[in-house]
Amino acid sequence: MNDFTLIRDIERYLEGEMSEQERTAFEALRQSNPAVNEQVLLHQQLMQQLEQYGQRVAFQEKMDKIHASMAIDEVLPPSQIPAQKKVFTISRRLITNMAAAACIALVTSLSTIALMQNATRQNTTAQYEDVRRVLNNIQRSQNALINDINSKKKAPANPGTYGGTGFAISNNGYVVTNYHVIAGADSIYIQNTKGEAFKAASVFEDISSDLAILKITDSTFKGQPLPYTLKPQYASRGEAVFTLGYPRDEIVYGEGYISAQTGFNGDSAAYQVSIPVNPGNSGAPLMDSKGDVVGIVTGKQTTSDGIAFAVKSAHLKRLLEEMPKDKLPKKEWNHKNRLGGLTRVDQVKKLEEFVYMVKVYN
Amino acid sequence: MKHNQNIERDRELLLGLTRNDDRALATIYTENYPSILRMVLQYNGSEDDAKDLFQEAMIILYEKAQKGEFDLYSKLKTFLYAVCRHLWLKKLQTGNWQLALPDELEEVLPAEDDNTMAEHEEKDQQFRVMEKTMGNMGEPCKTILEDYYIRKLSMQDIAEKFGYTNSENAKNQKYKCLMRLKKLFFEQYKS
Repeated sequence: MNDFTLIRDIERYLEGEMSEQERTAFEALRQSNPAVNEQVLLHQQLMQQLEQYGQRVAFQEKMDKIHASMAIDEVLPPSQIPAQKKVFTISRRLITNMAAAACIALVTSLSTIALMQNATRQNTTAQYEDVRRVLNNIQRSQNALINDINSKKKAPANPGTYGGTGFAISNNGYVVTNYHVIAGADSIYIQNTKGEAFKAASVFEDISSDLAILKITDSTFKGQPLPYTLKPQYASRGEAVFTLGYPRDEIVYGEGYISAQTGFNGDSAAYQVSIPVNPGNSGAPLMDSKGDVVGIVTGKQTTSDGIAFAVKSAHLKRLLEEMPKDKLPKKEWNHKNRLGGLTRVDQVKKLEEFVYMVKVYN
Repeated sequence: MKHNQNIERDRELLLGLTRNDDRALATIYTENYPSILRMVLQYNGSEDDAKDLFQEAMIILYEKAQKGEFDLYSKLKTFLYAVCRHLWLKKLQTGNWQLALPDELEEVLPAEDDNTMAEHEEKDQQFRVMEKTMGNMGEPCKTILEDYYIRKLSMQDIAEKFGYTNSENAKNQKYKCLMRLKKLFFEQYKS
């Protein structure tokens, strides 16, 4: 049986054109042959689909006829069409307005940003203050006194224009201080607690971290082994620290704690330190409780008290490693800290011999 | 009581629709189309959108009525409006011009209606397949099949119309056409 005869038989079977005999035979075939049975079912499905298709097409045609016969103008109340137009024009006007508003907003916000940035920049310079000291006449007279006593090793009669603090980083005359202390210097002198002054020269400067390394050039200088080391690790927040510096002509002790792991405006190479800092403290060492150097005081925030900043000692160490080899101070950080077990008074007593006043003439 | 009378009238109209009464269809169409048109225009649709939408809703109503299982609980207007709203919502969601949906449209339709929609979608799918298959059939098959199965002409009439010498020849031609239709339709439908 081929497809054609099969479909003819199915048609005739479904349409009831078969004779009783044929019908019985076909039904028997349907039962014995599942493939034939499936074709019959599919055929029925097809017929159903075809009929539905026809119905829908006819229905659609009828609807289209009705739709065409309807006058749309009647369907729409007269107010509908103009109202719709009105909505449209409003939205268009709205777009223009919104565009104008957006432009104004853009201009405003951009100019605000520009102004704010300008203001911040000005604020930055205003808030941050180097703590070098402008030496005045009173100090000059004091200096003169000291100079009389130590007539052998004297600084020039002029006591200098600016002053800061520095401390020894080797036993052969290398001293670290802030770059801003010695910037633009004609000559640099460093003076110890005994009032002895030695001529020094800057051998290395790093403006970005505000550090400078000086070398004492005076032949009369005799170095001593350092009792402290540069701490390579970062100090943690809350760690107690102390400093020795020259805000006056006399060495001054101050203590505080590390307040934050970053410095001014989030500078990650520095700490924020809560410690009393005055002009002249620039370049002063920041020591932890064992007497090791954890930082170098560089400046303070003018807008609020007790906020000072110090470059991390790890940064100084890296700087020393980056220095040209011929200028390098002898590497002798292997020595042991010898201040660990001492009381603070004894620590300070030992330390102050290695903390110098830096005087700058220009 | 007025409400109930309205439903009675709507039921009459629906019965008319089931009997393929053209007058009933025309009444339902002309009475309900304007409100749908207004709704569509309100949501920035075009007149053509409204026509498509409303006719689709009418087809749903018609096919439901034809099946004889449709019992009208609400007014026809309410039913058609709800169906149109649902279809319009779908259109907005799937359309590439994604508008913010008006709040009213976001209301969830009853579950019964979701069922109606799913059924309709399936039927719609079948209709598209059949439409496409018939479109691909070519003449004279298309007309012969339409004449016999849809317009219910007798084989004698068809034989005369197409110039066959007798209805038996016409029948053979019809069987051949039917074979092709069956093959094409189920190829599409099953894929």
